[in-house]
Amino acid sequence: MNAIADRFASQNVGPIFLYTHEAHPGEDYPHLASMERKFQHARDLREKLGVTRPILVDALDGACHRAYGSMPNMTWIFAKSCVPVYKSDWTDHHSVSNAMEYFLEVATRRRAGERLAPFRVERLDFKNKDMARSTRGSSGTGPRPYGSTAPHSDRRPR
Amino acid sequence: MGDPELLASYNYDEFIPEKFMRWLNFTASPLLGEPSPDFPLWDLDGRATSLSATWSRYTYLIVEFGSFT
Repeated sequence: MNAIADRFASQNVGPIFLYTHEAHPGEDYPHLASMERKFQHARDLREKLGVTRPILVDALDGACHRAYGSMPNMTWIFAKSCVPVYKSDWTDHHSVSNAMEYFLEVATRRRAGERLAPFRVERLDFKNKDMARSTRGSSGTGPRPYGSTAPHSDRRPR
Repeated sequence: MGDPELLASYNYDEFIPEKFMRWLNFTASPLLGEPSPDFPLWDLDGRATSLSATWSRYTYLIVEFGSFT
């Protein structure tokens, strides 16, 4: 996802990582009980896992995260007009990249004089199951996340 | 800040279905193409901002939700 941010930056596409709750609280990264702790975990995300995009932190009660569906690693794309144009219950860089290419092409078509109207589409995208730990992973949670009975690669809820 | 019960249940302390499944509510999330809700957010230095302040700076804003774990 960092690479996507770099790729589209010149076209005024902004990326942020929005810090939620701990999806898999563990010994090193327990559940969040204060904003101070939440800021520290978010800083570790940048420093230890290399998230180079701007990181913004949600309220401790997850008001924003909950309003948008509370999925542990979802991605939304918003247009400047304050409306969401893409939402995915899982973050997949192929899917996000494909969507961004489409939306930027729409802008090009409009500049060329084409008259366009929005419509809704549903699509089933596919993630790489071998990369279930994702680029963020959960390897830093500690020896064993609380409640986990499965290996790390199987601990995502879907 | 907020309701103590909500804070504790949202920030669940172990990854077991009875604690995390209740929060997975993607099907009821805002519709595409409709105005979406705005919320206060904070940068890593604790400065207040908002989702709308961020999306208004760009033609498109990609928001990945997640955590260290």
